[in-house]
Amino acid sequence: MKTARPPIQDAGQAPRWHLGSYLHASASVAAVALVCVPLVGRIDLANLAMLFPLAVLYSALRLGRGPAVFSAFLSVATLDFFFVPPHLTLVVSDVQYLLTFLVLLVVALITAQLAAGLREQRDAAERREALSRALNEVASELSAALTFEQIHDIVERSLQRTFGARGRIAQEGARDNPRGPYADERAADRVLPLHAPMRTRGTLSVWLNDPARGRDPEFARFLETFATLVAISLERVHYIAVANQTEIEITSERMRNAMLNALSHDLRTPLTALAGMAETLKMTPPALSEKQMSLVHGLHEQAVMMSDQVAKMLDMARLQSGKLRLRCEWQPIEEAVGAALRALSPRLTGHRVRTALEPDLPLVEVDAVLIESALRNLIENAAKYAPAGTTITVTAAVHEACLEFSVEDEGPGLPAGREHELFEMFVRGDASAGSPGAGLGLAIVKAIAEAHGGQVRASPRVPAGARFTLSLPLGHPPQPPGESS
Amino acid sequence: MKEVSGPAPIVLVIEDEPNIRGFLVAALASANCQAFDAGTAARGRIEAASRKPDLLIVDLGLPDGDGLSLIREIRSWSTVPILVLSARSSETDKVAALDLGADDYLTKPFGTAELLARVRALLRRAAKGPTEEAGPLVFGRLSVDLERRIVTRGGELVHLTPIEYKLLAQLVTNAGRVLTHRDLLARVWGPNHVEHTHYLRIYMAGLRRKLEDDPAFPAHIITESGVGYRLIL
Repeated sequence: MKTARPPIQDAGQAPRWHLGSYLHASASVAAVALVCVPLVGRIDLANLAMLFPLAVLYSALRLGRGPAVFSAFLSVATLDFFFVPPHLTLVVSDVQYLLTFLVLLVVALITAQLAAGLREQRDAAERREALSRALNEVASELSAALTFEQIHDIVERSLQRTFGARGRIAQEGARDNPRGPYADERAADRVLPLHAPMRTRGTLSVWLNDPARGRDPEFARFLETFATLVAISLERVHYIAVANQTEIEITSERMRNAMLNALSHDLRTPLTALAGMAETLKMTPPALSEKQMSLVHGLHEQAVMMSDQVAKMLDMARLQSGKLRLRCEWQPIEEAVGAALRALSPRLTGHRVRTALEPDLPLVEVDAVLIESALRNLIENAAKYAPAGTTITVTAAVHEACLEFSVEDEGPGLPAGREHELFEMFVRGDASAGSPGAGLGLAIVKAIAEAHGGQVRASPRVPAGARFTLSLPLGHPPQPPGESS
Repeated sequence: MKEVSGPAPIVLVIEDEPNIRGFLVAALASANCQAFDAGTAARGRIEAASRKPDLLIVDLGLPDGDGLSLIREIRSWSTVPILVLSARSSETDKVAALDLGADDYLTKPFGTAELLARVRALLRRAAKGPTEEAGPLVFGRLSVDLERRIVTRGGELVHLTPIEYKLLAQLVTNAGRVLTHRDLLARVWGPNHVEHTHYLRIYMAGLRRKLEDDPAFPAHIITESGVGYRLIL
């Protein structure tokens, strides 16, 4: 958008004092005098005098207050000198002319004053109109801006066009100014904060060509409004970016969830059927032979194991999807322990399970389902590696600012030096050991612990076996409800 | 099913996967139930109205409609116990089904033994009815007499706070059903407190400490993580 409009004038600049205006004013008085010359004698002098305020009015409207006042005095002098007898002197023979002069001077001065005031108001109105037109243009340009780059461009262009000034936005939070170093080595003449409704978006620096403009209140008001417009546009563009990003995230999360749900459904359904049919076969008459029974038993076991693996893989996929949404609530860890032990009870029949939870443990803010899953995986892991008949000990205690939950077993212990690897996916303690599994259990525990800002670690148990400790950060639990009994 | 006397209870299975339907019917038949099945929600609606079942088993992922809307519809005219099957692992579906009036849920894959245990519990509850409770209810070492407000454990009187007692009463009258957090909070604290799950958890922990032998491995007051609680007799 290129307009040839000159930069807007500043109120302090116009009109300037210079000789031309005064010569111009004198000429206008002379012109009136010339018109009067042929009329002398035909028209009464008092009536001729009434022509002179026209010259004053002209000067006031065209040339400003100073020349107008000057032409008022010049008119009186001219009338006296050329037209009032005795001619060509300033001496007045008839005293009544003094009244004419006085009235002429007063009328001329009042005319000058009023007309000059009118002119100034007109100028100010024009200037204001130009400023608001400039603001309108900026507003409409900014409203079309879709990127930060465009806003920067518009700011530079419009300040240059309107005032011949240079401007630059420094965005808050943006590390580098996209335009490189500032326009000028010298400090900006004006630095305005860019306040938007939600927060301050940065600053607008302005370098003026004409320092006098800095004193103009109209200009200051213009800059303030300008800064607000820019700030609102920055915020709008910011939220456009946020909305786009959010929409992408929501869509991809919805797709991921839909896919995982579909997978979950499609894998679980046939495995449920398989396991259920095998189990039902065992109890439907006629009774099976021992060999058939063992085949059916194996079928059932495999189906259950496979569905377990599938469930773990789906859990891991959910945990790894990045945007895991925790449904955290304050709760006693005891509940998760109980739920995990209950879910595992068919698999714990070969072991003794001992629980030792410290009394009066504080509440923790956790996702109940995930924490139960973490505990279940830890206990299941112990049951898998420790031989039947041994004891699995489940403890919970406060240690420093954490709630520590430990599972101890009397199994073969940890592979020396490989404690950390155990928590990686698809890593198994002793691959040759006959127990089934894909090595996902501990990776799931680790992912859940980290999602809660906690951690899990493995350590040897004395005298034998392994200890896995899940520690969760303690927060500030809400006040327990009071009860009046 | 020794406990249930009289004619064999009628169980209607509404499940779209024919193999699962097949083994459910076989397993129920082996447990002396008269089992009928339907493969779609529409068929299930008709069967439910004509067979007058004693128990419904509903899969949440039916092809011709949401299992949830089927539950809502059936609940509008019947109090028949409903056991929900879900292949989805998300707890919100289960909570939604329970809040609509389902009594219990099982996540696929489930064992037949577990299924039959749940079926038995629901049938027993429905057969007995909540009103004809006479005398104390005895389970494990516990005895709960709701009429006289007396709870004993191993013969010794257990002192409960009023809220603990209210909670226990809700669990006992709904034994075998899953009560969601929301449900329990609304019943005990009132509808303005349904978001205060930590109230519920703290009182539940207190109740367990007074009633369970090992509160960390409870035998009766069972936590359904992310869903609610269930009392097992």
